[in-house]
Order: sequence, then structure tokens, then C-alpha cells
Amino acid sequence: MRLFALYFAQYAKVRLEYKADFFIAFFSSMAATVLGFGFVLVLFTKIPKLQDWSFYEILFLYGFSLIPLGFFNVVSWNLYQFGDLYIIQGKFDRLLLRPVDTLFQVLFEKFRLESLQEVITGIFVVVVAVERLNVPWPAVDYLWFILMVASGALIYLAVFLMLTAVSFWFEDRVGIVPPVFNMLTFGRYPLTIYNVFIQFMLSWIIPFGFASFYPTTHFLGRDTFNIYFYLVPVVAASFFILALFVWNRGVENYSSTGS
Amino acid sequence: MASTDFALPARPRSEFSLVATARIYGGFLRVGFVNTMAYRLRYYTGIVTYFIYVSVYYFIWKAIYSHSVSIEGFDFGQLLTYVAVGWTIRSFYYNNIDQDMAGQVLEGKLAMDLIKPVNTQWMYIAQALGESAFRLTMLTVPTAIVLLLVFPVRKPASVGNFMGFLISVFLSFFLVAGINFAVGTFAVRLKSILGLLRAKYFLLELFSGLLIPISFFPHVFQTMFAYMPFEYISYIPVLIYLGKISGVGILKALGIQIFWVAALVAIGHALWTLSSKQITIQGG
Repeated sequence: MRLFALYFAQYAKVRLEYKADFFIAFFSSMAATVLGFGFVLVLFTKIPKLQDWSFYEILFLYGFSLIPLGFFNVVSWNLYQFGDLYIIQGKFDRLLLRPVDTLFQVLFEKFRLESLQEVITGIFVVVVAVERLNVPWPAVDYLWFILMVASGALIYLAVFLMLTAVSFWFEDRVGIVPPVFNMLTFGRYPLTIYNVFIQFMLSWIIPFGFASFYPTTHFLGRDTFNIYFYLVPVVAASFFILALFVWNRGVENYSSTGS
Repeated sequence: MASTDFALPARPRSEFSLVATARIYGGFLRVGFVNTMAYRLRYYTGIVTYFIYVSVYYFIWKAIYSHSVSIEGFDFGQLLTYVAVGWTIRSFYYNNIDQDMAGQVLEGKLAMDLIKPVNTQWMYIAQALGESAFRLTMLTVPTAIVLLLVFPVRKPASVGNFMGFLISVFLSFFLVAGINFAVGTFAVRLKSILGLLRAKYFLLELFSGLLIPISFFPHVFQTMFAYMPFEYISYIPVLIYLGKISGVGILKALGIQIFWVAALVAIGHALWTLSSKQITIQGG
């Protein structure tokens, strides 16, 4: 934990060296996130409901999905570049020399600080939606909320960690990450609009549904999916343990390129 | 690299020759094509990506149309065709000129672009066109086939509409290239341009009508968009395909598209002239 703080502080210093630049990056990526809502905003000028979901309910779902994603994006930078940077250019050798876990180093060597705007935007949208919807929000829901955000971030991390670990076996990048990344869009709309096949996939194969949809149903008082809601932390933990296992097998399997 | 031989024109630039010019930029076009070929594996997953996009919107629109037969003059079949054709043509006109320029700045290679005796803007556009030619065969056509097999996509309204559509899509490429180059000129000034690129990315997706037809927007926006080039990237070409624009309307639309291509190229040129002066000051 102390080491994490040191890594984080160090990187924050580097980024804030160029203050103007950082703020431009921060606000332009916030503009991007806000534009992402455009589709929903325009759509609901024409329709009253999407299935039985009202505008503010969809807004809650979309906003909530951004919060765990934002936290994940802060550390995800190196995962996307892993094959290139660490395996092909051989940077991974250096990590093995240090007395700290390799995964820790990969995740926390670089932070994408501006992704915190997704967290901020997400929270803002969720607060507005809750106010407008007048859903009951008991005190215990704050704890659930934090747990769900943490679980969601862990699910994203687990999925992309597994995909990244593939680089240990196959150096050439087929580019399997972008399609999976694009599946995140699925999680921003009610799972019930999709067919059974996609619902199953988003729950049990690439469990993005557990990161956004199932938590949302509980907070909005839709009890149909209550069992799934309580399963969220379990699914997150299971997938994360699986991802760690795959990662560690990858590290064992790793042989340097010699560069 | 063997492909550098075209970089130096045989004759002084003042002695303008169309053939020589075509040969130079043809060379860049070829480089764009060949460079992309190195990443051809990625295009298989690209097809999956486009398929995912269309599927998401297919289900959303299906849920919406379970309540109503027609929205803003679009029935479900038309809207599905709108979405599928929109994403298919995007796989062709899309390019990364702005990102490439930002990359060049970070690697300090932009100075090399400046000393080449060619027009930097057209060099980037020619390369992107080569890339798009590649995407057309490896991404656009397979994506179109997959979408046709899976979703009930409608045929173009008529042969004439289809021809007009093809020309319009070709012009869309230049619109996007023009916009991307203009945005890319900011790469010279900013250190991290990624946020800006993301904002532009989402702005184009929305304002081009890719995500939702422009006629679904509130009227204020529609009026505003009429004076902007964005809807000519996706909305207008697809309307031509669907037959919502026909006859003389097609010619008029193509005319405005050409106007915007010229305007954007001019703006990009002006911005580049400004930015490249700044590079000299920094010493590259």
C-alpha cells in the first residue's frame, strides 16, 4: 500500500509538471465522456421509454457504468501496451529483477490520471438520476455502492488482465482486446433488450453485466435480478482469482526475447 | 525502405507536372497500403468489432420499435439499414491522420516531414487513402457481407442512388481526412493530444449521424448542423442509399460535399502553415 502511494505520487508529479497540458487532457476527455451521452439524450427526445426503462433510469445505468470503468482506466494503460512494451521490447526482464510482484509493477508504473474524470462524471450523473427518480436510498446502499464499484473495477481488471496475459504465449498481437473493449457498450443498456445468447455471454463469459447492469437493478429497486446483485462480489472475486492464475502461469512461461 | 525513391521530384516544383505529382502522391498512397498490410491480422478482429457495434444498436432499436411503427419517417427496416450501412462505410472512410501526426511529434519525426519537398497535408491524405483502399478490401467488404447475412439489411433504393452513394462515400473519406489533419495540427502545440482526439472521435460519431439520424435531433441542432460538414460524412450518404435523397437532390448533396472538402483542406492548410512556423521556433 505504501509502495502504491509512492508510485502514484511519483507519477502524479511527472504529469503535473505540465499543468496546462494535463488540464487540457482532463477537460477534453471529460468532453468526450459527456458526448458519449449524446445518443441517449437525443434518443429520449423521441421515445418515452426503452423497454420499461425511463430516461433517468438509463442515465443511471450509463453513469454508473462509468465509475468502475474510470477507476480501471486509471491503471489500465500499461495493459494495452503490454505486448508491445514489455514482451516485444523486453521491458519485462527488468520487472523480474525487482523484489516486487510483476503485476503490481505493470499496473502501477503509469497512471492515466485524466480517467478520473469518468468517475466524476459518472457520480454526477448518478446523483442527478437518483434525485429525479426519487428512488429510496437507504444508508446501507452507500456501502453497497462502494462495494459494487470496487467489484465492477475488479471485473474489468480481471477480463483485461486475462487478455493481456495471452501475450506471454502469443507475441503477435491479433488485436483481441479492441472487440472485447467495445463490448463495454453492451453493458450501458438494459441487458434484457438483448437475446439470450448475448445475455448469457455478458453474464458468464465476459461478465460486464455484473459490473454495471446487475448492480443498477438493485439501486433502482428492480428486484427481478436480486440474486445476481448479491453474486456481483462473488463473480468479481472468482474472475479476478482466475485472472491472477492465468497471469502467474504466463510469468512462469515467460522466456525473454533476449533483447 | 525501398519506397523512398519517390520522395524527390525529378523536376523543380515550379515546373508543375500533373504526372510527376500523381507519381509522388501515388507513392505515399502505396506506402499507406503496404504499411497497413503489416497489420492485416487486426482486420479480422475489426470485422468482429463492427459486428458488435451494429448488434448493440440493432437490439436497442428493436426494443424501441416494439412500441412504434415509424419514428421521424424511419421504419425499423430502414433504421436497421441506416445503422448497418453507416457502420460499414465508416470502416472505409475512417483514418488516423491526427493520431499519426501526434505520434510523429512524440517521436520527433515531424521535422522530417517538413524537409520533404512535398505538401505535408496531401502526403498524409494520400497515405490515408492507401490505408482506406486496404480497409475497403479487408474490412469494409467482409463487414458488409457479414451484416447482410445476419441482419435484414435493405438494398439501395435504385442503381442511380447506389452510384451517388458510392461517390458520396468517397467524398466522406476526404471530409474525415480534412478534419483529422486540421485536428492533427494541434498535435504540434499540445503535448498530450489524446483527450482531444477522443473528444473529436465521439463528436464525429454523434454529429455525423452515425449513432442516430440527424432528423432525430432537436430542430435547433438540425439547423446548426446544416451549416457544418459533419452530417455529410455519414447521414447524407446513407440517406442517398435509402432513397431519402434522390434525383437532383443527390447532385446538390454531392456539390455541398465537394465544397466542404475544399473548405476543410483550405482550413487544414492554413492551420498547418501556422503550426509549422512554430516548429521552426522550437528547433524541431
